[in-house]
Amino acid sequence: MNAVDNKSRREFIKKMTAASLSAAATTIPTANFLSSCSRTEALASKADTVILLWMAGGMAHTETFDPKAYVPYEKGVESKRVLSTFPKSPTIVDGLHFSEGLEGIGSVMDKGAIIRSYKSADLGHILHTRHQYHWHTCYEPPQSVQAPHIGAWIAKELGPLNDVIPPFIAMGQRFTVGEAEELKAFHSAGFLGTEFGPFLIPDPSTGLDSVRPPKGMTMKRFEARYKLYKELANNSRVLENGSDYQRESLMRSMEQSYRLLNSPEAKVFDLSEESKETYDTYNTGRFGLGCLLAKRLAMNGGRFISVSTEYEPFLGWDTHENGHLRAAKMKELIDRPIAQLIKDLAESGHLDHTLIILASEFSRDAIMEGRPGLKVKDQVNQPDVIEDEKFYGMHRHFTDGSSVLMWGGGIKKGLVYGKTADERPCSSIENPVVIDQIHQSVYHALGIDSQTNYTIEGRPFYTTPDGHGKPILDLFT
Amino acid sequence: MEEGQWILQLLGRLHPMVVHFPIGLLVVALFFESLTIGGKRNSLREGIKWMLYAGVVFAILSVIFGWFLKTQDDYSGLLVQNHQNFGIATAVISIFSLFLLERSIKGKLKDFLLYRISLAITVLLLIIAGHLGSSLTHGEDFLTSVFLNEESDYDNEKTALLLSRFKDVDSLSIVQQDELNLGVRAIFAHNCYQCHSENKRKGELTLDNKEGVYAGGESGVVIVEGKPDKSELFRRISLSPNDDEVMPKKGKVLKPDEIALVKLWIKNGAHWSDQALKVFPEADLALTKPELPKNTPEKHPVDQLIDVYFKKNEISWPDTVDDHAFVRRVYLDVVGLLPNPDEVSEFVGNRNPNKRDELINQLLNDSTNYTQHWLTFWNDLLRNDYSGPGFITGGRKQITNWLYESLEQNKPYDQMVKELINPSVESEGFIKGIQWRGVVNASQRTEMQAAQNIGQSLLGVNVKCASCHNSFVSNLTLDQSYGFAAIFADSVLELNRCDKPIGKMAKVSFLYPELGDVDAATVMERLALLSEVIVKPENGRMYRTLVNRIWQKFMGRGIVEPVDEMDNQPWDANVLDWLASDFIASGYNLKHLMRQILTSKTYQLSTVKYSNQVEIKSDYVFQGPIVRRLSAEQFSDAVSQTIAPMYPTVEYDPLGNIMKDKRFWHREVKFDRTVLPEPGIRYFRQQIRIPQNTIKKAQVLISVDHAYTLFINGNEVAKGANWREVDKIEVSKYLFPGNNTIAIIGHNEGTIANPAGILFGMRLYLENGKEIDIDSDKNWKSTDVLPDTEWVQINFDDSDWKETQNYGSANWGKLVEFSFDDGEQQIARASLVKQHPFMKALGRPSRENVTTTRDEQATLLQALELTNGEYFNTVLNEGATQWLNTIGNKSEEIAETLYLKLLGRKPTPKEMKIIIDAFGSTADKETVQDLFWSVLILPEFQFIY
Repeated sequence: MNAVDNKSRREFIKKMTAASLSAAATTIPTANFLSSCSRTEALASKADTVILLWMAGGMAHTETFDPKAYVPYEKGVESKRVLSTFPKSPTIVDGLHFSEGLEGIGSVMDKGAIIRSYKSADLGHILHTRHQYHWHTCYEPPQSVQAPHIGAWIAKELGPLNDVIPPFIAMGQRFTVGEAEELKAFHSAGFLGTEFGPFLIPDPSTGLDSVRPPKGMTMKRFEARYKLYKELANNSRVLENGSDYQRESLMRSMEQSYRLLNSPEAKVFDLSEESKETYDTYNTGRFGLGCLLAKRLAMNGGRFISVSTEYEPFLGWDTHENGHLRAAKMKELIDRPIAQLIKDLAESGHLDHTLIILASEFSRDAIMEGRPGLKVKDQVNQPDVIEDEKFYGMHRHFTDGSSVLMWGGGIKKGLVYGKTADERPCSSIENPVVIDQIHQSVYHALGIDSQTNYTIEGRPFYTTPDGHGKPILDLFT
Repeated sequence: MEEGQWILQLLGRLHPMVVHFPIGLLVVALFFESLTIGGKRNSLREGIKWMLYAGVVFAILSVIFGWFLKTQDDYSGLLVQNHQNFGIATAVISIFSLFLLERSIKGKLKDFLLYRISLAITVLLLIIAGHLGSSLTHGEDFLTSVFLNEESDYDNEKTALLLSRFKDVDSLSIVQQDELNLGVRAIFAHNCYQCHSENKRKGELTLDNKEGVYAGGESGVVIVEGKPDKSELFRRISLSPNDDEVMPKKGKVLKPDEIALVKLWIKNGAHWSDQALKVFPEADLALTKPELPKNTPEKHPVDQLIDVYFKKNEISWPDTVDDHAFVRRVYLDVVGLLPNPDEVSEFVGNRNPNKRDELINQLLNDSTNYTQHWLTFWNDLLRNDYSGPGFITGGRKQITNWLYESLEQNKPYDQMVKELINPSVESEGFIKGIQWRGVVNASQRTEMQAAQNIGQSLLGVNVKCASCHNSFVSNLTLDQSYGFAAIFADSVLELNRCDKPIGKMAKVSFLYPELGDVDAATVMERLALLSEVIVKPENGRMYRTLVNRIWQKFMGRGIVEPVDEMDNQPWDANVLDWLASDFIASGYNLKHLMRQILTSKTYQLSTVKYSNQVEIKSDYVFQGPIVRRLSAEQFSDAVSQTIAPMYPTVEYDPLGNIMKDKRFWHREVKFDRTVLPEPGIRYFRQQIRIPQNTIKKAQVLISVDHAYTLFINGNEVAKGANWREVDKIEVSKYLFPGNNTIAIIGHNEGTIANPAGILFGMRLYLENGKEIDIDSDKNWKSTDVLPDTEWVQINFDDSDWKETQNYGSANWGKLVEFSFDDGEQQIARASLVKQHPFMKALGRPSRENVTTTRDEQATLLQALELTNGEYFNTVLNEGATQWLNTIGNKSEEIAETLYLKLLGRKPTPKEMKIIIDAFGSTADKETVQDLFWSVLILPEFQFIY
């Protein structure tokens, strides 16, 4: 189907049993009817697994990875003076400072790179999920066809690395919160077909449940049930009717699911296999446990794994008030598990083939809404003079500069790429980066051709709009 | 160039000539060698040997020269790489062949076999290398382009014809001039637009419009009227194919006829016709209104037409399906439900020869079930849904009520279309589109969405491509799309090409201006005009589009495919156009159209086998219906009908019962924000006042996500742990006049914060005939701290408890059973249910975009949902309990009932044995549940045969 040839692909094919290969040959997944572009050359790749650490809700760069002048809280401080509400703290990389509370992540920056000049799209009146849709699909909604999530593209192009681990796993986000419909809209394989859609694990501590037989069913009963179905299916009288490929594709998908649910490798999803010490190190909450599960998946053949701090309107990083206090709490949530994840993968050698990205849909600021020069509706009320600590923090949405962190998978170590202004507006002023470049950099690391596209409704649909995006080659060794 | 380099370059350029020597020599060597097989013609051996020697030398030379060519002339790419590899391999293997030959001759090898194999391989490699080489020089499609390719054949024929007609005419008439110009523009379209169109103005030259052609490009004017020799355009297209300046591009030049035609056109003054160029095939707007064939034995009009089609394609009529298969198929197709076993056996036993027609009529007349089935089709087509992006900020509107009523009344289709386009408040959602908050891409503004969706859904034409730039796949232009969109705009639209304004204003017009003018001062007037114009019978395209969709639903494949591209060739134009004409003649009656198809023998044929999906997509010949998969809705409804209600709630209640379906729970707060409740136990209290009148009856309805214990005045009244069920409890004995206390312990299960809510209602029936309803969601207080045991009593002081939070019904929907009337158990038809993860897994689309064909492919995620999905297993579990209560625990009886209900037949003795062997003769809850699962997953159940 495509000419992408890399190590993992070959390994995957080796792992597939002869049976599943011959079965695969008789079927044609729907998306194959989408005519793919012809690839001109095989690409070399460094990474075969991606972990996306998603800072949902808009993480202020000035409060985290790109600190500016610290202005401590005191009653009567002017809002316009507040650039950062935390002091700076050194990292392991000379001259690189993070905001206080991120010392763990700071200690692993010798293993990765930071982009300090990411510019979010300008989508006008802010709706978080619209920007998140744009970040994850590279297309601004709405679109006249459903755009696939980056994880779905990767699942489609590379397939599973371990055939009992779904190639696109999304952890941490529930769909019972506000803006749920908008969240669902991009947690989707779009026109690529549900086959490549996300395997959702809202609560990583119960991840095992999603790959085990139904609750209350013993393995013995589970096996007996499948055996009964198989025998009945093989003796069904409609065998002579209709097309075999339809019947076979149905039965094969059931077999795959049975194999997955019956597989010893499903233990990968079992966090109780970790030592108490490891578990406790990671366990800062659901996000931390998500990092722990992501580590296990990355070590065992996960393909694309996202771990979200979870978007829930006005919660998480979406600080509309009490910004300082809440940013401190969010840092506690992410710092230890992320640092440990990088360390664990580095020590076990898995970091070399695992690309880890930390990003958010946009940044925040105390004053600026949107980007400089724009008039945006419905800004958070922020008094000129802060008389209540509730107003101390970054409460408005800022799209003109934010930080993206990357580790592993061929990313340079200790690199600082781009920068933002030290005075308000803290916009990207050097090497500005847009989402197309981030996506293409991920595809580059994985060896997915930048011109990958499918024809849908008569026109080519590329991984990045019109196939124009270019990877940031400076990020790679 | 460095000294001496030119020699290398010269040698390199000799490569294309030198390569022909080894080709000739080695091929002939192999040919002569084949003549010697069997020990014959040994005299050839010496000659073969010398040919091989010469061949090897030239093969090596070719490789060396090829290397020079590559390095000196900067060739690169995969094709070059492959050509090189095969060339080198040819040379190497040819040397090896020679070596083997020498050894064979000297007797060191026992025969010539190895050498012959080696020589054959050499020639094989040579052919591949040669082919790759020719692909390099002549283009990759050099070989394949001679294969059937209607478009280019058509063009060339047309070009040749025009040329022969006009080349000796001294002065062309204006009609001829127009023809000539369109012929030339077709050449431009196929060969030049790729780089020289408004979409991509290479060298500043555009050839797809009059202004561009006459204005020329960077290097000035390209056409001098009357003087081909002075025209840059003619000079460039007539250069040698190897010239760097040749157009369209090196290696791919115009055919001689084409060049001659362009020359003729310029010579004749390069006239420009005002007619639009149609590069792509386009279906006629009007219907052909075919006559029904006379000399056929068939009675039904569809069968008469198909009879002619079958004869033409040398197909004899296949068998029709038996009654069992027919009854299941037609139930699922018309009302989306399974026939119950009684209906099946009654139908099969019925000896009336018209019974099939009668059943079809009966089902079409079952308006409620017909509507609740077809709602799904129309929701997909008109992208109408109960939830989805856009609703949150008021950027989207449902048309459910209008749609439901239209289907229930079988509203004429032209009327439906009129009401969609020139809408009332109820039906305006379709053209309003989806507006997300913030700024959007120009090609996605709501006016453009209206044009795109009307185009796709109603007319089978792709406006999406042309809303960004002139289409590459149809004749539609950016101007036309914006003209169409402008109908819906209340201000003048500026054209945007690829999201950049181009300073041109849209001129209001419909895609098919021949149907009538739609320009007027206001949007409302324009919509009124469009709605009248679009439904005209002359717009055969619109009716053809719908007929094709209905055919596709019933037969599994459209007469035209894809169903949204109605300019594609139908496999039989007569069937399509006759049905469309008949549909118009019936007064745009949808049920009439369906009846025409369903009552035909054609619909009732056995399903056709295909070895793979490709056969259905291309080069398709109709031989009968195709097996289809149950839709997510059909699957769900079948489970609800037979096992247990799949969904307890609906989003749209056709009866219009408005329930104050509000769930309340303890208000949970984080950073001043109300958030999803954490798991755990919460306590709720309410005081109600009961009047002095005597209570005859008092009924409580309660449903709690996840579990509850209910107390009235200190007495424990009931417990429950299933939010999908409604407990209905008679409580009059616990109540007395004056103050009463209702207390509930609620339990939110789970490991993380998740929706929780109590739904509570109480109705008092008084002696005097009056009824009093106690509000379900007001006046409750709650706490998350374990209170004194006294808390369920009236006297308890709850002043420090907080008011509860109303969590609405968004996470649950409207419970169909939440009603004080004790009716039969109702089924929530899946079409009325909000998008659900189970249905999503089974292929129900999220309706942000028009969906006209669903993905029927089985996928792993879907299989996982069926195998360990908690939701599905819960339903099966509930069903098992019910079955054991109603049918008893005899495995045989359960299996027989299940097969009859789900598959419309009894299990065979063999199947029965398999089941009894697995479960024994007495069933329990687990075995019943597992049997349900096994049969529901069977292909026989999941497909419509």
